[in-house]
Amino acid sequence: MIEVDLAILGAGPAGLAAAGEAVAHGLRVAVVDDNPRAGGQYFRQPPAQFRRDGGSWFDKEATRVAELLRVLDHPSITYLPDTVVWDVPAPDTLAVAGGERSGRVRGRALLIAAGAHDRPVPFPGWTLPGVISAGGAQNLLKGNRIVPGRRIVVAGNGPLLFVVAASLVRAGAEVAAVVEAAPINRRLLHAWPSMLAAPKILRQALDYRLSLLRAGVPVRTGMTVVAARGADAVQDAAIAPIALDGSVDRAVSETIACDALVVGFGLTPSVELLRLIGCELGYNRGRGGWLAVRSDRMETSVANVFAAGDGAAIGGVEIALLEGRLVGLEVAARLGRAGNAEQRRAALRDQLDRTDKFRRAIEAIFAGPSHYLGLLTADTVVCRCEEVTHGELQARQAEALDSMIQLKSTTRAGMGRCQGRNCMATLASIVSEASGTPIAGLNYPRTRPPVRPIAIGDLLHEPIPPPDLPADPHLPRRQNAS
Amino acid sequence: MSDKREQRVDDGLDRGRAFQFSVDGETVTAYPGESIAAAMLAAGRAAARRTAKRREPRGYHCGMGVCWDCVMVVDGVTDTRTCRTEAKPGMRVETQHGVGQRT
Repeated sequence: MIEVDLAILGAGPAGLAAAGEAVAHGLRVAVVDDNPRAGGQYFRQPPAQFRRDGGSWFDKEATRVAELLRVLDHPSITYLPDTVVWDVPAPDTLAVAGGERSGRVRGRALLIAAGAHDRPVPFPGWTLPGVISAGGAQNLLKGNRIVPGRRIVVAGNGPLLFVVAASLVRAGAEVAAVVEAAPINRRLLHAWPSMLAAPKILRQALDYRLSLLRAGVPVRTGMTVVAARGADAVQDAAIAPIALDGSVDRAVSETIACDALVVGFGLTPSVELLRLIGCELGYNRGRGGWLAVRSDRMETSVANVFAAGDGAAIGGVEIALLEGRLVGLEVAARLGRAGNAEQRRAALRDQLDRTDKFRRAIEAIFAGPSHYLGLLTADTVVCRCEEVTHGELQARQAEALDSMIQLKSTTRAGMGRCQGRNCMATLASIVSEASGTPIAGLNYPRTRPPVRPIAIGDLLHEPIPPPDLPADPHLPRRQNAS
Repeated sequence: MSDKREQRVDDGLDRGRAFQFSVDGETVTAYPGESIAAAMLAAGRAAARRTAKRREPRGYHCGMGVCWDCVMVVDGVTDTRTCRTEAKPGMRVETQHGVGQRT
C-alpha cells in the first residue's frame, strides 16, 4: 500500500500539472499511468533512443514538456508508469495492476485525470486496416515520427482534424482532402472576436490553417466520409454532404483514392472510473458527451475526488494544465499547506476563464450534426470487438429488445476487450433516436471492475482477502474458520 | 515489403541503426524504439489480425491501447498490442486469427 496526500490517475497535462503544484506546496503525491512514458496523448514523446536536435517543427513543445515532466523526479513523487488502475475499491483508493506494481494507492485526495479517446462513429469500412483514429494518427506521429500512409484523407468533425492534417502536411505526407462535417466557413466571421481571448492558441490555429493553404489541401466542409473501401487495407474513401440534422445525401457522393483514412469526430472523456466511483455525470455534446459534474474547485460530487483535463470534460491542453494546477492548489489548501491560496487561485481562474472563452468559440464553430446514424448500413459493424452489425441490432430492436442493456446482453455489443469504448456511444445514439429519450436519460449498462482488461499475472502482488463465506454447512470451510 | 523510408519523418532526428524483424515471414525494417505497428505501417503493411466471426482484416486504429485491433502473435505470445510493443531485432510477428489461444 502506497499512502500519499494526493493520488493521481493520469500522467498527462492535467495530472502532471496537479502533481507539480502539489509537490511545490510540500505534498506527497503518487502518479499512476498506463503508458510506458509520461506526457499523456498531447505531450506524447518519441522513445529515448531517438536522438533529436530540437530543430524540428515536431519538437516545438519540447521545452514545455521537459519542464512538465521534471516533476516526476521530485523526491515527494511516487511515479508508477506502465500501471493500470483497474478498480477504485473506495473513494480514496486506486487498485493498480502491473506485475511487480500491483496493489493499492491511497490518497487523502484523489485526482482522476484519465484523458479522452476518439468518439467512435461507425460507417461502412471503418474497420478496414488503414482507417485510423485522429488520436491514433497523432500518436504515430508524436511517438514514432511516422505518417500512416502516403496519400491521406482526414475526415470527421472538430478542430483536431485540422491539427492532424497540418501535422501530416508538415511531416511531408500528401493530404488528399480534409472533410469537415460542420459548415465552419460561414461561422468563422461571427466567432472571430471571442477567439482573441487566447491569442497564443489562436496563433497556433492560424499556423495550422496556413500549413494547409500553402500545401493546397482542399477543405471540404458540410461533408462526411460515408464509406471506406478496400480489400486488405483502405484504397479509397467516399464522401457526401451531411446536414446538421444528420441526413446524408449519398446521391452526390464522390470518391477519393487514399492509402490511409484518418477519422476524428471529436474526443470523448474517459469517465469510466468516475462512473465506477459514483461521481455525478452530466451530458454535454459540445464537451465530448458524458462528463464530470464539478465544483469550481474541480471537485466531483464525491468529497475529495477531483477530476481535471479532457478526462473530465473536453477542453484541450491549456485548460487541462490550468485545471490540474487548481486541483493541486486546492488539495494543498485543504491540508493547510498552500499559504496564500486565494491569490494564486484567482490568477489561475482568470486564465481559465479566458481560455474557456476561446474554447467556447471553437465549440460554436465546429458544432456538428446531431448524429451520424445516417452512415449506418445493415452490414456496418457497430461493435468492433464482438463484430455486431447494425442489422443485428435492428433485428433485436424489432423484437422490442430495444434498451441499451437488452441490446448489449442479446448481441454482446460492448462486451469485448475495448469494454464498450468504441460502441456504447453509438448504441446510446441508436436507442435515443429510436425511443425519443435524450441520451442523458438513458439507462447505461453498469461499469464494473476491471475497468481495463488486465492479465491475471498483472495482479501478482494483489493482497487477496480470505473469502467471506455464508454460514452454510454444505459449503467447504476454511480450516481456521471454526 | 519495401522499406518506404519516406513515411518516416526525419527532420531534426537521428533514429540510430536500422534492424530487421519478421512479419508472417517477411522482413520489416525498424529503428530502435519504434513500435511494431509503426514499423509495419512505414513498410506499407496495415493489417495485423483477422477477426473471429467475419474473418475481416484489422489493424492499428486507436493508437493508444484502447481498441485492441492491432493485436498480433509476437514471439509466440498472442493478444500483443503492437501499437504499444517495441519492435526488437529478430522478433517473429505473426497475424493473429480470431481471439488467439495461449498454447
